[in-house]
Amino acid sequence: MAVMTKQQAKHFAEMNDFFLDLLNLLKEKGIINNQEHRVMLLTGFEKLVLNLEKKKIISVKEAKDAIAKGFTSLVYALAK
Amino acid sequence: MYGWAGQRLRIDLTKGNIIKEPLSSEYRRKWIGGRGFNSDVIYNEVPPDMDPFDPRTRVCFGMGPISGTAAPSTGRVTVSCKSPLTGGFGDSSMGGHWGAEVKYAGYDQIIIQGRAKKPVYIWMDDDKVEIRDASHLWGKFPRDADTIIKQELKDEDIHIMSIGPAGENLVRFACTFNDIWRAAGRTGHGAVIGSKNLKGIATRGSGSVKIARPKEFFAVCNRLRQMFKNDPMKMGLYEYGSLCLINFANRDGWLPWKNLQYGGTPLANNMSGETHSKTVLKHREGCYACPICCGRFTHINEGKWAGEEFGGPEYEHAVPTGPRVGIIEDANDIWHNARLTNDLGMDGIETGAVISAAMEWYQRGLITAKDTGGLELEWGDEAVVDQLIQDIAYRRGFGNILADGGDRASDKLGLGDKGHYYTITTRGMSLPGDDPRGLGFGYGLSFAVGTRGGCDHLRSLCCLELSGALYPGLNTKILGDERPAKPTTTVGKPYMVYYEENQKTVTDCLNVCCFTTHWSYAVLTQDQLDYFNACTGMDMTLEEFLEVGERVYNLERAYWARLMSGAREDVVPERFTKEPMPQHVDYQTNVGATLPIDEMLPKYYKYRDYEPGTGFPSERTLKKLGLDYVADDIRPLRKRYMSESEQKKKKYYY
Repeated sequence: MAVMTKQQAKHFAEMNDFFLDLLNLLKEKGIINNQEHRVMLLTGFEKLVLNLEKKKIISVKEAKDAIAKGFTSLVYALAK
Repeated sequence: MYGWAGQRLRIDLTKGNIIKEPLSSEYRRKWIGGRGFNSDVIYNEVPPDMDPFDPRTRVCFGMGPISGTAAPSTGRVTVSCKSPLTGGFGDSSMGGHWGAEVKYAGYDQIIIQGRAKKPVYIWMDDDKVEIRDASHLWGKFPRDADTIIKQELKDEDIHIMSIGPAGENLVRFACTFNDIWRAAGRTGHGAVIGSKNLKGIATRGSGSVKIARPKEFFAVCNRLRQMFKNDPMKMGLYEYGSLCLINFANRDGWLPWKNLQYGGTPLANNMSGETHSKTVLKHREGCYACPICCGRFTHINEGKWAGEEFGGPEYEHAVPTGPRVGIIEDANDIWHNARLTNDLGMDGIETGAVISAAMEWYQRGLITAKDTGGLELEWGDEAVVDQLIQDIAYRRGFGNILADGGDRASDKLGLGDKGHYYTITTRGMSLPGDDPRGLGFGYGLSFAVGTRGGCDHLRSLCCLELSGALYPGLNTKILGDERPAKPTTTVGKPYMVYYEENQKTVTDCLNVCCFTTHWSYAVLTQDQLDYFNACTGMDMTLEEFLEVGERVYNLERAYWARLMSGAREDVVPERFTKEPMPQHVDYQTNVGATLPIDEMLPKYYKYRDYEPGTGFPSERTLKKLGLDYVADDIRPLRKRYMSESEQKKKKYYY
């Protein structure tokens, strides 16, 4: 499911500190609610990936790749 | 009740009252213990405008629900007060075995208030607590007080917390020890304890800690102990103590040389852990339930200090009265200086920092021998350093000026802003033996915003950039990127600092040693939650657990806000932003680095939801954390902080 454009993904991938901005975008798009935003801010990247996998926003493989390769892999998965 | 003892001890030394206060389930869930319990008491019971030496002030010793159990490294104690050094919120942490003993005696926290008419010590024998005469102990080193008390009480197995002469003389960075050598070094609570005429607390505890789900609890503990067997940081710390960092620090340019004018010295190996273990290590020591055993016991074998021995030193203990003051050629001088600060009961970091500031004032002609009572403060002069350490502890001569900390000393000497440039402090507390231009930009950011002043290696150190590279994939798992593992990058650092501060805070609420959960990553947050829930039966979620850390952190930040300390005071020493790191060895990795604090601070504020103008915690976040009363406290202060008159004030301490 495409949550952002490829251009947006590129922009995120080039940011120095991206986590909060990504969570804000996901909340804006209605993918996560306030409570989930808060939980993932506190608990970190892996929890975000698992949440998105559970909601089928990303596939099992994309989630596995994101946990192994990190943020850049995730944002490009969200741009498909 | 599982985990907790369920009560705290409040001792009023003025009235001689000893009261046991129950701790409700709601209170324990909200604050967990340790730093959480203490911060709540200091916030609510010590007004920000109170003199830290006022008899009405409090000193708190906080244990946690896991204290005294088999979980790894659960013997620590948090000591909290209004700091006489900074004037703001202060706390420190010590290892040893005393914390577990207090827990076995049946208490989760001890609060000391009032002032005894003459020197006393407290004897806690399980539920029997008495205040005893300590006139015969006043003036004694902690090691001697320990011996005398054990003889008096006819029990070698009791555990004792005590202060040294520096605390009795109200040196603003005096500290406490338990089991003689395990120090809670920072923020000067030793002086607050001394101001109450309290020498120490001796404890015998014959109770135990009840575990809610013992099979599950011990399964977690055993799994974690297995993890330590091959853990890379543990192996280094066991083998060489925290001195294992010396050669890394020198290579990466964060070993302070001459008040951080340089990031190292070609002779650093003289004091490395490897050299220490071959020349002066008598034996290794461990704290309660610790699988790491980073403690050292040193015996000096030769030279003018031959025969001296003491527990320690740690990296942060040895570096300040070693390379920071220009001493490196004879490592025995460094071990002797560390022994002295221990016996006198002073924060080794602050002692070395204030002497090195004075040496740089002298180097640059801001002071002369006329100001120092004839002492010529030349770098590397051991005789001068030896004398000054003692003069500070006993408040003699020039030492009496330095005993109030670098920034107050600078003001007393009339040195103006120029003097403050060389004190290397934030909010009045000195940054320790780690230059952020080399150790890491995250570390530098945490100096600026730390809730006890120039926060340091045990409080705000972002270990994901110190040791994260030893754990491939860990930075990605938590932060989403491996790049933040590189010390001298700003990539990912605002989130790293936010995450690590919360996690470190809840670790302090549990009173678990951060060497097991940060320096080493054998224990992760989920592991801590697993043994916490199995021990207490509370069944918290991961977010609720980390939220406790965020709650405590914001409470401490709000205490500073009440002192009119906020965004303008979130600064680092100008040396780090203005002076590119010079070269000291040809293999140095951070030549030319400065700390880009302004790139990281605004983003960090967004993570913390601090208001951009004031730097105060937002009302929204405080209410989310159940701190409505704190929001009420600081609401009227925002306008005042932004007023013209406040903006004109330059605050180096409070």
